[in-house]
Amino acid sequence: MSTATFSASSAAAARTDYLFVSIAVLATAILVALVLLDGQPASAALVLGGFGLGVAFLKAEFSYAASWRRFLTRGEAGGLIGGLIVIAIAALVIVPVAALSKGYGGAIAPLGPSLIVGAFVFGVGMQLGNGCGSGTLYTVGGGSGRMLITLAFFIIGSVLGSLSLPGFLELGGIDPILASDYLGPWGGLVATLASLVAAAVILAFVAQKRGANFMPSRNYIIGGIVIGLLCIGVFFAGGHPWSVTFGYTVWGAKIFQALGFDFSNAAFWQWPGPKHALEQSVLSDTSSLTDFGMIFGAMAAAAATKRFANMPWPPVGSLLAAAVGGILMGWGARLGFGCNIGAFVGGVASGSLHGWVWFAMALLGSMVGIRLRPLFGMSRE
Amino acid sequence: MRRVYIVVTLVALFAIVGNHLMSPSTGRAVSPEDFAGACAPCGAPCPSVK
Repeated sequence: MSTATFSASSAAAARTDYLFVSIAVLATAILVALVLLDGQPASAALVLGGFGLGVAFLKAEFSYAASWRRFLTRGEAGGLIGGLIVIAIAALVIVPVAALSKGYGGAIAPLGPSLIVGAFVFGVGMQLGNGCGSGTLYTVGGGSGRMLITLAFFIIGSVLGSLSLPGFLELGGIDPILASDYLGPWGGLVATLASLVAAAVILAFVAQKRGANFMPSRNYIIGGIVIGLLCIGVFFAGGHPWSVTFGYTVWGAKIFQALGFDFSNAAFWQWPGPKHALEQSVLSDTSSLTDFGMIFGAMAAAAATKRFANMPWPPVGSLLAAAVGGILMGWGARLGFGCNIGAFVGGVASGSLHGWVWFAMALLGSMVGIRLRPLFGMSRE
Repeated sequence: MRRVYIVVTLVALFAIVGNHLMSPSTGRAVSPEDFAGACAPCGAPCPSVK
């Protein structure tokens, strides 16, 4: 072996952080083993699907918060259109299967003040927190100390949101509007794909008017295809489109409960689904399974190529923005029936109108959030 | 920051395993949408039902 070859291989070895790769792989293996011992292969598939999503998001640097910000500040629409690729691929399976097969369902939600206020507040928080629901997960897994703060406050905010949601629902609203209910499974799919094409054309038109690029980068195209396929895998394993933030709400409620808080009088926690999730093992909740997998997948991917979590802590202002953004996203996600993944990707990929309403309101909220960033010493871009 | 990460990861992992071992776990993992009357991913009821 020549000296040059030896140096190259030692440099490559030095780039891998074996401690954190081992922690990530071992933690994933423990979770997979626990659910397999319970005889739940679908749960193991959800953990592994989440792991794959963590790797894909980190490698593609797929960021909803940053791509929305680039569109709003500079007019660049490539990132946003890349996000639509994910939805289009997922919709190809979710719309017809949810309509035709028992045991599968789309991501639906009612339209009303709760959705509008929640999505708007989420958009504000997304720009302060520097990540959305999935972004927070994979950047936490990727070794960002700042995003640990965002996640902690995201969890607190989502528990607060669970206490606020029933009151907002009292304000009224209309039942979910699902394209396949009106047009059938295939007509619903055509309508969903047409809405995505229309959105892409509008975004490209705005970008062109502002003299900006609207073509997704190679990373976003490949990442979008891989993430879209993984969304389909998660859908088949869990029976519903991939969702993120309900897991945060369950974790927070379990922590608060352990600290002595009583949720027996909280309306949200008396609904059958949340009540069941609070009583059962955290590994009985589909969104928690993919969330855990995603964190450890991103950790393994990040540690495989460099020394993990080797950045200094950011300034206090940035940490404060992380906390405020986290609270707003958590609260907004509960009122808005999810984040970019559960409400926007899952909703639109199911042909549910609430997904587009969520997108419009969160985009408006992002405009406000971008204006607030300088208050915390952060750039608007 | 690495030490913080090691502590947070280990505490979280112990909490997950502890919660799983000490809580009931009935059958396959579910989402709140799987329950009757759910109208949203969090299990909220439909406005028309109310």
